[in-house]
Amino acid sequence: MSANRLVFILVTLGLPFAFYTLFVLWPFAQAFIYSLTNWSGFSPNFEFVGLSNYTALLQNATFLKAVRNNLLMAVVIPIVTIALALALATMVTVGGSSTGAVRGLSRSSFYRIVSFFPYTIPAIVIGLVWAQMFDPSSGLINGLLTAVGLDQFRSFAWLGEVSTAMPATMFVIIWGFVGFYMVLFIAAIKGIPAELYDAARVDGAGRLRMTFMVTIPMVRDTIQTAYVYLGILALDAFVYMAALNPSGGPQNSTLTMTQDLFNTAFKKGQFGMASAMGVVLAVMTLLFAAIVFVVIRAIKGKDNR
Amino acid sequence: MDRRSVLRLAFAGGVALPALALTGCATGGGGSETNTGGGAAGEKSEKNPFGMADSGTVEAVIFNGGYGFDYVTFAADVAKKNHSGVTFDVKPSTQIAQELQPRFVGGNPPDLIDNSGANQIGLTTIAEQLEDLSDVFEAKNLEGTTIKDTLYPGVEAPGTLNGKLVAINYVQTVYALWYSGSLFEQNGWTVPKTWDEAIALGAQAKSKGKFLFLWGKEAATYYQTLAIASAIKEGGDEVRLALENLEEKCWSNPAVQGVFKAMETVIKNGYVKPGGGGTQFTAAQAQWSNGQEALLYPSGSWIENEMKDQTKDGFKMMGAPEFTLTGNSKMPYEALHAAAGEPFIVPSKSKNPAGGKELLRVMLSKEAATNFAKTKLAPTIVKDTVPADGFGSTALQSQSKMLSDAGDNVFTWKFVDNYGMNQDMLVPWNAFLSGQIDAARLTTQLQGITDKVRNDPQVKKEKVS
Repeated sequence: MSANRLVFILVTLGLPFAFYTLFVLWPFAQAFIYSLTNWSGFSPNFEFVGLSNYTALLQNATFLKAVRNNLLMAVVIPIVTIALALALATMVTVGGSSTGAVRGLSRSSFYRIVSFFPYTIPAIVIGLVWAQMFDPSSGLINGLLTAVGLDQFRSFAWLGEVSTAMPATMFVIIWGFVGFYMVLFIAAIKGIPAELYDAARVDGAGRLRMTFMVTIPMVRDTIQTAYVYLGILALDAFVYMAALNPSGGPQNSTLTMTQDLFNTAFKKGQFGMASAMGVVLAVMTLLFAAIVFVVIRAIKGKDNR
Repeated sequence: MDRRSVLRLAFAGGVALPALALTGCATGGGGSETNTGGGAAGEKSEKNPFGMADSGTVEAVIFNGGYGFDYVTFAADVAKKNHSGVTFDVKPSTQIAQELQPRFVGGNPPDLIDNSGANQIGLTTIAEQLEDLSDVFEAKNLEGTTIKDTLYPGVEAPGTLNGKLVAINYVQTVYALWYSGSLFEQNGWTVPKTWDEAIALGAQAKSKGKFLFLWGKEAATYYQTLAIASAIKEGGDEVRLALENLEEKCWSNPAVQGVFKAMETVIKNGYVKPGGGGTQFTAAQAQWSNGQEALLYPSGSWIENEMKDQTKDGFKMMGAPEFTLTGNSKMPYEALHAAAGEPFIVPSKSKNPAGGKELLRVMLSKEAATNFAKTKLAPTIVKDTVPADGFGSTALQSQSKMLSDAGDNVFTWKFVDNYGMNQDMLVPWNAFLSGQIDAARLTTQLQGITDKVRNDPQVKKEKVS
């Protein structure tokens, strides 16, 4: 191996790997080690307690509630976001007039900008703005609802009722992301050769059929990526929760693992236990990604490979 | 699986795991640290009782909440006059635990900390690493009087853990029911003394289109504070000790249950403004102090300063002691839930603990304490800093009156803060106040939280007697 080649490998692979080890892998290992201890987080001393943090977590009703909330979000948020984003993307790319060349609705670039807009707002701002919108007494939503005569919404606490807190929270997250994924899908759809649509149309396919038979199969990889990213976001969601319902929502109905982890670490001074929560979250995230890959692979079947 | 999807997975892993990295912040470095604190010592004398070196730095990290942090800067300027060679560095923070956690682990915490606010460090977690501050109380203040002789009675209680004074709580806080003196006067209402009277007042309020109470989601446990105080007045010390020591069925005590039942009636009758579970707490408080939508608000005496900019003109804020359950309670109605707040701590491993104590000594001297009372409209634990006119504040006047009426009948409790239980307790209280659960479910859920702490071997308990 020539010296040049060695330098090249060291710089392009060695250096990033060293950084990755130091700043990603090593903290993971550390977190796992702490999860086996009773470290309070505020002293240099701790004892190893084996797996007792994990067994305690399994009996911790609050944490299990948070796990269920996260799982619900990891299922609902990606599906709804992707469905909406895909529908919008189809409209602005191939949903237009059915005569002439395949094209989107007129003024589609305007719609594109409008729907992308929420994504340009930082997550914490989105959370704070919507927290005000949902305010029971002075919020815009209840203001509009009572103005049209729906008096049962006077002082209705969207984020304070068990039945509405989670849907309202998921709505905010979806609202913030639909635009971005729409743009992502637009790019993917633009990459589909127009001949496919022309051929489909010649064969008598309507818009709906074109969507299911042409668009979706052709952008399946993009959907997979979107699903994994949105799922990971839903398993975290810390920023939105911190703005909308910092204390976990009514009856902990919007409590997430990351919030429980944060409280356990900083408010209760149990960093060992918090590390165990982090490890559980990491394992769940990896499992989630793996499941998505496997499922999409199964749907793909033989074609492509 | 091809190479590309392996890479993709690895990358997804990198995105997925920041939560792990959050907890993975190092304990490294702390182990080899040999700093045992103390730093260079100066000579101990009457004017320098802790032997602070006459050069160097004193670093103070102060919770920047309702009281700001300028009062410590004020004290630092006074201290600077006597120790011109020392630099006093006063920094504000709203994230005490998050900011200082690595420094505690690393063995270089600041010299003085106001460990307060929602992100305070649980005192039991760090008690072993803190200086015993009883020598500050034994020292003489700048005017030459021994500090402990200048303080209100019982001020050492909240900062004492297993017999060691680990924190000096600086601000005297009175917990009470606050109301608008002018509104009550206009309507000819009197402040209720028992829960039955409160329910009756609720009916009158309703007839005027107002509520008796309101709440905000982060502050739902203010009603727990009210309930516990009522129950302690009703049932006496036995109620307090059962809760403090996290006893089994401590929430089922008849006095506690009586109060919960009364609250349940208040809620069921619609005397509590709905929607609090979705309202940010200062927004809710403004509905009381500015909108006058509710008559009473249970809170600590910081409420006046907190709502200063959002209080209606001519509101005349006044405080009244928390209700008793019946007319023949074990403690008199005038008994008061008062406790000093804003715990100041001095870590033993800091570079200059003597400097931290010196700054505290200056804060407890007349000049700095009077400055605090005057600018924050709240008394410190130092007596006689508030004139009869309360600097023109009706809230401060009524606070002084409540304290003198109570005499020795002053009580408080620490279990909620000590064991960091507030976060968990917010959940059932929000549900209870919004009518989602009844008093029985509230009791079960609070008992569950309490039992969990009692049975957790990792939590160090403090025996209260």
